[in-house]
Amino acid sequence: MKDSLAQVISDLPVDYADIRYEENEKTLVCYEGNELREVAATSTHGGHLRAYTADGKAIASFSRLTDARPLAHATADSARLVGSRRDHPLRMAPAPAERGAFLLSPRNDPRRLSLKDKQDLTQHYNSLILAQPQVVTTDCQYDEFHSHRFFVNTEGTAVEYELLIVNIVGLIVVQEGSLVERVRFAFGGNDDLANLLHRDEELLERVGHARQLLSAVPVLAGAVPVILDPDEAGVFIHEAFGHLSEADGIQDNPSFRARLTLGTRLGRPILSVSDDPTLLDRPGGCVVDDEGVRAVRTRLITAGVLTGRLHSRETAAEFGEPLSGNMRAVDAEFTPIVRMSNILIEPGSATFEEMVASIDDGYYLVGAKGGQTSGDQFSFGAQWGHQIHSGRLGKMVRDVNMSGELFSTLEGISMVGDDLKFGERGGCGKGGGGPMQLNRKSGKGAPHIKIDRVTIGGTR
Amino acid sequence: MTRLINEAKRSVGQAELYVRRERRIQVRYRDSRLAAVAADDLFSTALRVIDKGRLGAAFGVLPDDPGLVARAKATAALGDPAPFAFSRSRRFANVHPYDAATSRLRAPQLIGLCERTRERVKPALPKAALSIQASANHEEIELETTGGTHVAHEGSSVTLAVHAPIEGGGTSVAKWTSSVSPFEAPEELLDEFVEWYRWTETSSTPKTGRHPVLFAPEAASLYLLPLFSGLDGGAVAKGTSPLAHRLGQSILSSLLTVVDDALAQDRPGSRAFDDEGTPCARRAVVESGVLKTFLLDRHSSAKLAQAPTGNGYKRRLFSSGTELAPNPWPGQVFVEPGRTPWRELLSQIDDGLLVTGGLGFHSANYPQGQFSVQALGYHVQRGRVVGRLERTMIAGNIYEEFQHVRAVSLEQREGSGAYAPYVLLEAVQVAGN
Repeated sequence: MKDSLAQVISDLPVDYADIRYEENEKTLVCYEGNELREVAATSTHGGHLRAYTADGKAIASFSRLTDARPLAHATADSARLVGSRRDHPLRMAPAPAERGAFLLSPRNDPRRLSLKDKQDLTQHYNSLILAQPQVVTTDCQYDEFHSHRFFVNTEGTAVEYELLIVNIVGLIVVQEGSLVERVRFAFGGNDDLANLLHRDEELLERVGHARQLLSAVPVLAGAVPVILDPDEAGVFIHEAFGHLSEADGIQDNPSFRARLTLGTRLGRPILSVSDDPTLLDRPGGCVVDDEGVRAVRTRLITAGVLTGRLHSRETAAEFGEPLSGNMRAVDAEFTPIVRMSNILIEPGSATFEEMVASIDDGYYLVGAKGGQTSGDQFSFGAQWGHQIHSGRLGKMVRDVNMSGELFSTLEGISMVGDDLKFGERGGCGKGGGGPMQLNRKSGKGAPHIKIDRVTIGGTR
Repeated sequence: MTRLINEAKRSVGQAELYVRRERRIQVRYRDSRLAAVAADDLFSTALRVIDKGRLGAAFGVLPDDPGLVARAKATAALGDPAPFAFSRSRRFANVHPYDAATSRLRAPQLIGLCERTRERVKPALPKAALSIQASANHEEIELETTGGTHVAHEGSSVTLAVHAPIEGGGTSVAKWTSSVSPFEAPEELLDEFVEWYRWTETSSTPKTGRHPVLFAPEAASLYLLPLFSGLDGGAVAKGTSPLAHRLGQSILSSLLTVVDDALAQDRPGSRAFDDEGTPCARRAVVESGVLKTFLLDRHSSAKLAQAPTGNGYKRRLFSSGTELAPNPWPGQVFVEPGRTPWRELLSQIDDGLLVTGGLGFHSANYPQGQFSVQALGYHVQRGRVVGRLERTMIAGNIYEEFQHVRAVSLEQREGSGAYAPYVLLEAVQVAGN
């Protein structure tokens, strides 16, 4: 395969070209309530081409390998057309030529489980939820994705590598009168089937939280101090800071580039943040990225100071910073864009009890419920929360969504816990100038953290 | 297609084959400079089967995939009994959202469109780092069932989007438009982009409390996605929709009429049939505030013992694609315009918000009608914009807040997920200073 891909890009009239070809398999088992809504088996293939001249760039995606050769020439022509229209140099940071195969050998390979066993496992958890009082429906999915990829470029890189991630994820829907609440759960996040087994106790605890939400009070609007649990703190650092550490996100934004030069103080000395793809058992682990570059740990914030950034070869050259190996395409349809791998807040020394005791009037917020970022503004939700009054945890609150501005919020992180934990479910949506790419291979980890002030939305 | 359907018919009872081809050329300008040309030519295939009464599905690239039928049959062996049958429809409306001139567009023509757009905007905003994207899209869908449905769709669209990050902080300002046929960037759109961008030069945070809010067409999804989540036949059948028992009742202000019309002529994305081969139709889903109909795919229609409404689409909140199972989703959404020019509505606001978007929509309990987002847009005082919003959230429930609409604008524009007017609400809870 690598030889035939090399031939596709061998004599193109450009300075650089690469091609990625993928064979992808997906298995989906989806329950909604007591109904098995979908069992689906997917087998797809396709590829992506990139061509660069000194000034121009063009990309193309294709389904049929037989289309690759003519498409490669058309893409080279487009790159030359772009180059003829602009006078801004387009450079790629030099990267060592990588060769070889980086194949997986999972401890408990989920692909060995029969489709029937996958269905039984999903049904087991689904039935367990449905058997609990006040549960009106569920959404319970087994989702397995395997990708076998080949990447070849005109500089001698020719690699073969695999991605495999399996999850059981879902939604617990509980109802009391007209009040309906939803709580999410997720098991898995890597290639080890064992993570999906024997999780009854945690699932029942989650159902218990969902039921408690039915008697929780709505959160009050205002700007207050909060403690985020590790799951929520992981999403916070991903949304609020992580996206702005992806160089392609600020590449064309002169004012952010100026505010985010390496060496800038962003937080207090207790705050350190890394992106670590070498944690192979976490959702974002990988050996090489989709540009054929080795994936390495990047220290993004060290003791409060901005010390690193996530790059493609193009952005590394433009910023004059080291390669990080963070280019990722969710599948053959897409061009790679800069993505976090496993972003994490490094553990500090505070205990959860110390954090609670330090707050007069605020909230403890638990469980990630998605987030969004644009520029330096961010927003994210919590599955539930608890009031904190005079240093003590109080009633459960619901309908929690909060927002803030990156720079003041990072500065407002005043305590970092000693209890780093990773979320099991990866996941992140980003467009990056093209269509939205929903990336499963995105991990988030953090200890408990305290932020002195965030804005909470509420109906009162 | 027909060969595979015949093979499936021999091997399993019923089958539905869906084949899609998308071709796209896109030109991207970043920081006001031509950055790249992207071209795609992608095929995808979905085969659903009902074998011994049970539903299964397999996905692949092309219908000549030799394992497709076997994979679908294997999944059907585990599937639940299918409560519905595949389409038998043979008559469809005449909808052709296609222009051959769009299919002939190549990179040089799209570069020309972007250049002219840049030349129009750049002199007014010399410091803005403009991103401009223009694309020409061509979509073909062919759907065949063992029930005798065999129908094809060909659509084209040209899209143009302009956005620029706000200098010194905040998010970005964006405007977009699309058409079945090639076009020049509308003057009005670019003028408004320049005006909105200039409004971001200062920032302002309203006081916490209840304030009037003017939702721009670009922010329509903030109230339409909760609404369509409530109209989802699946949620209605399960009883989790807050609208499940409210058919014929007033759910929104009488000033609001929301129409689902996949048959709208000359609109990109219009369709004669949905992704299950059910004929599409024009329906007012909310008429003068009164709930008229739900959105039903074949599965939910069977659960509710009603006819499908032609709303089975391979769409979800954040995704779309051949590999998704059909799901209730609107075809083309139109919020009917009112009588007052939007600038007049703006001038009526003493202290409130012009909302042009929101962050974090999906984190709220939106299926129950709730919204709680960081508001993007502008703070308005004494009828004039005083600055872009910062540190401002709005929250509420559409079935309460949208009962109190003060007025709906005369203008109806392509916004987020709909062609919509500006909608002025009496008061929404704002968290700010």
